[in-house]
Amino acid sequence: MVKVIVIGGGWAGCAAAIAAAKTGAGVTLLERTDLLLGTGLVGGIFRNNGRFTAAEEAIAMGGGDLFVAMDANTRHKGVNFPGHQHASLYDVTTMEPLVRKILQNYNIEVQFQTRVINTVKFGKQLQAVVIDGNEILPGDAFIDTTGSAGPMGNCIKYGNGCSMCILRCPSFGPRVSVTAKADIKEIMGQKSDGTFGAMSGSCKINKDSLSQELRERLEATGVAVIPVPASLIKSGGLGKKACSQYALAEYEANIVLLDTGHAKLMKPFMPIEELRAIPGLEKARYEDPYSGGMGNSVRYLGIAPCDDSLKVEGIENLFCGGEKAAILVGHTEAVVTGLLAGNNAVRHCLDMQYLKLPRSLAAGDFIQHVHEQMETLEGIRLRYTFSGSVYFERMKKQALYSTNRAEIHERVANAGLADIYNRCLV
Amino acid sequence: MISKFASRCIDINTEFCPCMLAETNHCVFCSHLKGEQVCNCNWAGSCILYEKQWNSKKQDLPGEEPKVRIEIESPLSVKTEIGKNTYRLEFTVTPELAQGLKKAGAFVFLRRSGDPEFYNFPVGIMGVEDVLVQVVIEAIGPKSVRLLTDDACSPIIVRGPYANGIFGQPWIDNTKSSKVILVAGGLGQPPAMPIARTLVSNGNQVTALVAPGRVGRAFIESELRGLGVEVISIPSLRQNGLPLLRQIFASEEQCPDLVVSAGPDDQHYALIAAMQAVDINLPMAATNNATMCCGEGICGSCEKLTRDNKRVKTCKVQTDFTEFICD
Repeated sequence: MVKVIVIGGGWAGCAAAIAAAKTGAGVTLLERTDLLLGTGLVGGIFRNNGRFTAAEEAIAMGGGDLFVAMDANTRHKGVNFPGHQHASLYDVTTMEPLVRKILQNYNIEVQFQTRVINTVKFGKQLQAVVIDGNEILPGDAFIDTTGSAGPMGNCIKYGNGCSMCILRCPSFGPRVSVTAKADIKEIMGQKSDGTFGAMSGSCKINKDSLSQELRERLEATGVAVIPVPASLIKSGGLGKKACSQYALAEYEANIVLLDTGHAKLMKPFMPIEELRAIPGLEKARYEDPYSGGMGNSVRYLGIAPCDDSLKVEGIENLFCGGEKAAILVGHTEAVVTGLLAGNNAVRHCLDMQYLKLPRSLAAGDFIQHVHEQMETLEGIRLRYTFSGSVYFERMKKQALYSTNRAEIHERVANAGLADIYNRCLV
Repeated sequence: MISKFASRCIDINTEFCPCMLAETNHCVFCSHLKGEQVCNCNWAGSCILYEKQWNSKKQDLPGEEPKVRIEIESPLSVKTEIGKNTYRLEFTVTPELAQGLKKAGAFVFLRRSGDPEFYNFPVGIMGVEDVLVQVVIEAIGPKSVRLLTDDACSPIIVRGPYANGIFGQPWIDNTKSSKVILVAGGLGQPPAMPIARTLVSNGNQVTALVAPGRVGRAFIESELRGLGVEVISIPSLRQNGLPLLRQIFASEEQCPDLVVSAGPDDQHYALIAAMQAVDINLPMAATNNATMCCGEGICGSCEKLTRDNKRVKTCKVQTDFTEFICD
């Protein structure tokens, strides 16, 4: 039996595991902490702008399980907020058990609190991963979805220090990149000023700490845009944000809150006394990162060089997804790349031609475009997402953006990829 | 029983970390503190980069200077010749230093009071009783003989506590209710005592092979028996000990879970060879005999090369002895 090992149980890792399992391969997913979804535990936004197109493409290709689960667990649909249309917000507080159940249904073996610390390599082939405690786990193909955020040393060097985020490095030990341990030199994303890394772009505020009026408004509509008192407006903070789709002037003059179960504040961090100077937030406190008053996690510090099939350059049987695969932002992007990596990992084991998504699909164009841009000096300083910033502009220009389900499904069918992820390969 | 352990600095998670190496960006552990761009440490539960940052904030406060080893002057209270050029010394230290020396593998640097610092030489601890510390030295070099030049018990300078006296410390600490063979030869006898105490208190069944070595006397036998250790007295490790060990290793019944070698490096290598001869590979803890000058990872005199071509500062870094290239 083909054995695929996925390292990292965030959205990308879960998607990769599902895609590999759907082909009939045996899949083991190794997760460092005691919860799946990684930063997806505090995210929540999907289907906004071009992410709608990307999600529908994935569904048409037969990889829709996770999007269907997100849809089913949505608190708000069709939310509009500055720069963003028709967003859905899944409930971050109840999403994880659902995904766990899906993986279970696909017979995926999930090992929690299992931190990979090294690899066993022979030539250009990975033979096994080494788990903290020195257990060695062999496999036929490996998928690195370990992300690019943290740990604390990086957050202190490139950010404001550990802000006690959902990644919980001190408790479970830091992320270790499989790619780096396989001696592949990783790429580091940059901020607009050329320094390395970028800070996560949002915080979660405890909803119970908001004023009753604000909480009710948020729960009724899903969004609250509150003007920031003039004395608190500063400029220059936007270039540091990981999520360039929210690096808009509106986000400096206002604070934008979204109801994802927590009150998602669309800012990388904000000192608590400034936060509390805003009407309705007089008693506000952070839920994630706990020290959201001083900083947030720093990411894009280890991106694997890979081709458009998401195979890591230099290793024959290592694939990557999510932030590991490119400077991309968001759950939708993670799932889309994860699915491709999962499918191709199995194709490797079966000596099949790798699946490459064509440029006629948003996902295909996205992966190829981002990889091209990462070669350039300006491109490495940007972040890419279907939901905004430079790539959404391109999507519109290339006529890839669509909210018409039938049209998107037809595009996938025309590319010959309808239900491709549902095909049994093994 | 862990078959392997991570090579780590022994001072991590102690009051001595971050040390001067972190201060000068030569930390043996933190990738940032040796000039790499991103995190790549062998996580041990705390972030040294973080600790360093907090420490540098504290340094501005009086009384919050970084922790350094204690250096005290103490008169020798006992100086007895127990073998050829071999002396048992006893001296009192502060309660804080005594506490730090109670662990197996602890050692101090000694020099005669009034001598410059480069007379410091490392000495393994044999035992600590309250604040009275017991060591054994062989006075053969220019440094060690300085302690014995006066007839009277002249004061000495004690610097410590240092911790990395045994390679394979995690095995000593974590082996419980198992069979252990402890081989102590010559001047390996004194550091074998705290090892035996730890092993016995962890419920292990310890068998000790004690050889007099160059010292000419097996002086820990009765003390070992007092701990409940089965002692096998051997006149020569080479002639009697090794054949016996090969026999023990080959026997399924007698074969131990852990081997501890307290003695010179030649003895360590002989034990490895004895295991190889019967095709077994047991975890082996071994005393650290490196030449040391500073004990802080700065001078480089204790550096050894491993089989994967890494240079290890043996005064601070825990490594499996079998990883070292035989020199």
